[in-house]
Amino acid sequence: MNVFRDLVRVAMVGLLARKVRTLLLLLGPMIGVAAIIAAVGLTDSAKGDLKAKVAELGTNLVEASASSSFGGQNPTLPRDVVERAMTVTSVRSVAPIVELSNIIVTPYEEAREKYETVPIPVVGADENLPVVLEVPMVSGRWINSFDEGSNARSAVIGVGLAREFGVLPEELRTIDVGGFDYTVVGILDSVLLEPGFDTAVFISFASAENDFLDDDVLPNKIYARVDPSRVDETADALTTAIGLGGPDEVKTDVKSEALELAAQSDRQLQLIVVSMGLLAIIVGGLGIANVMSISVIQRSSEIGIRRALGHTRKIIAVQFLLEAIVVGVIGGICGVLLGMLAIFVGASIAGWVFVMAPWLAPAGVVLAITISVMAGLYPARRAARLEPLETLRLG
Amino acid sequence: MSDVMSDVLMRLEGVSRCYGSGEATVWALHDVTLSIHAGDFVSIVGPSGSGKSTMLGLLGCLDSPTSGSITVGGVEVTGLADAARTHVRGQSIGFVFQQFHLIPHLDALGNVETALLYRDLKPAERRERSMESLERVGLGHRFDHRPVQLSGGEQQRVALARALVTQPKILLADEPTGALDTRNAANVMEILAGLQSDERAVVIVTHDTDIANSAARKVSMLDGRIVSDEVLR
Repeated sequence: MNVFRDLVRVAMVGLLARKVRTLLLLLGPMIGVAAIIAAVGLTDSAKGDLKAKVAELGTNLVEASASSSFGGQNPTLPRDVVERAMTVTSVRSVAPIVELSNIIVTPYEEAREKYETVPIPVVGADENLPVVLEVPMVSGRWINSFDEGSNARSAVIGVGLAREFGVLPEELRTIDVGGFDYTVVGILDSVLLEPGFDTAVFISFASAENDFLDDDVLPNKIYARVDPSRVDETADALTTAIGLGGPDEVKTDVKSEALELAAQSDRQLQLIVVSMGLLAIIVGGLGIANVMSISVIQRSSEIGIRRALGHTRKIIAVQFLLEAIVVGVIGGICGVLLGMLAIFVGASIAGWVFVMAPWLAPAGVVLAITISVMAGLYPARRAARLEPLETLRLG
Repeated sequence: MSDVMSDVLMRLEGVSRCYGSGEATVWALHDVTLSIHAGDFVSIVGPSGSGKSTMLGLLGCLDSPTSGSITVGGVEVTGLADAARTHVRGQSIGFVFQQFHLIPHLDALGNVETALLYRDLKPAERRERSMESLERVGLGHRFDHRPVQLSGGEQQRVALARALVTQPKILLADEPTGALDTRNAANVMEILAGLQSDERAVVIVTHDTDIANSAARKVSMLDGRIVSDEVLR
């Protein structure tokens, strides 16, 4: 134990005695590790908020919609689409909707002249939709079975539309939907997987049929939450289960896929910068080997006297290796801190979330130590092989 | 000069050392037999090329003979591996060199302490022993000075303190006054003369006959052989 402490102490004293040289030794592993950590961290941070969103939203929302193969208008899904979808065992819950087009919505009836009259999406939905989408209400309530059965003109609006119309939470308001007064009963929060819902109006299927459709109401789209481990198979199975015998085709879409794709870190960029970091650390290692080799020559008299005083070859070799290890440890730690600082500064400037995989820190230090030890091996061997008789120039 | 075996600290018996091989073989030492006793104050003197440096290497266990036998404290060291020889060296022999060979980045105390490293000593004990050794050569007050801040004589005294701190059986001094002015040389010789004891021998290797004659016993060398071994006092 005392011997080990002596070794560490001599290494530290030796390094501290030659501060500039030590600083030069530290730079190699430090810059290399910092570059690698910053590269991985910054490329991850760039997509950090998206990744968090994907994790939050889940990747198991599947959309199945009717699409006309003949270019016909308003393709629909079968009436019993929910039951059909539920026959796929990996489907957990389903919500059907009908999207109505060309309906003009204004904050109140008289606003029609002043207000922009671009049609906005009006969606007929049942009470399951927010459950399947896993979206909370900003205020109020969702459409319920009373709305469905009573023919009451109740509407839920997206949070974007609420902002646009100046609807306050819990405010009693009516809006004009295609010429009918609808009472706003609730405001739905943003649906990240379906951004269009931000500015949509949701009404019951009954209202949709009574006010806007000539025929019986039929859904044209369903949302299904499915077993997360079998998303793709389920999407395929849904096509078959729903489409059997119907005139229109069924298209499925895994809603999170686009988002996931966007959230993926730029692997190529990462690879390039990491390679440059590795190169820096290898050059740093060569620098250590070079500087230490020169140091062995400069310190040959010191090594000679130490050998004469009874320090063995092994002690001399370990002493030099230990200097390299200390350089690796300190260089590695400084490199990790520098890399973290780079991520932090970079992410702050770009407005990203700070993301750093926890394994990066120990990996960086280990890499720095490994390189330093490898670089120290040759000079350590040379130092140990010096003959005291030759270095002391006796006589 | 007693020849009782227990008094013999080191013995060279029929020792030869040659360098190179074949036609180019150089015999630096020829069949040398020499005993160093406790209490000896010996000088080994000879012109350059007489083999005294080779002798120093062998006496200091820095080198192995080509033939013959060397024992230190009754232990045969001739066939020992480097690590074992290093151990004997650390335990039994103290060195003083012409060029001092102090470690430049360490202060006087640090230089003395270097001799006690890796010996499983507590730092406090090592420090205490090193301070004592420095005080013995009259440099206790300059323990925190680096070699460059010390005069040549002081540096050689630090080297002496370093050699003494391990309490060696044999103190080997190689031209210890070679780099010093007359006054400092006399001072160092005075200290050296007082260092041999009932358990220790002091051996000075030199080409300077004045220095050699100040020892109690003088071994003269020429062409790799001992030509005389005389007791002066």
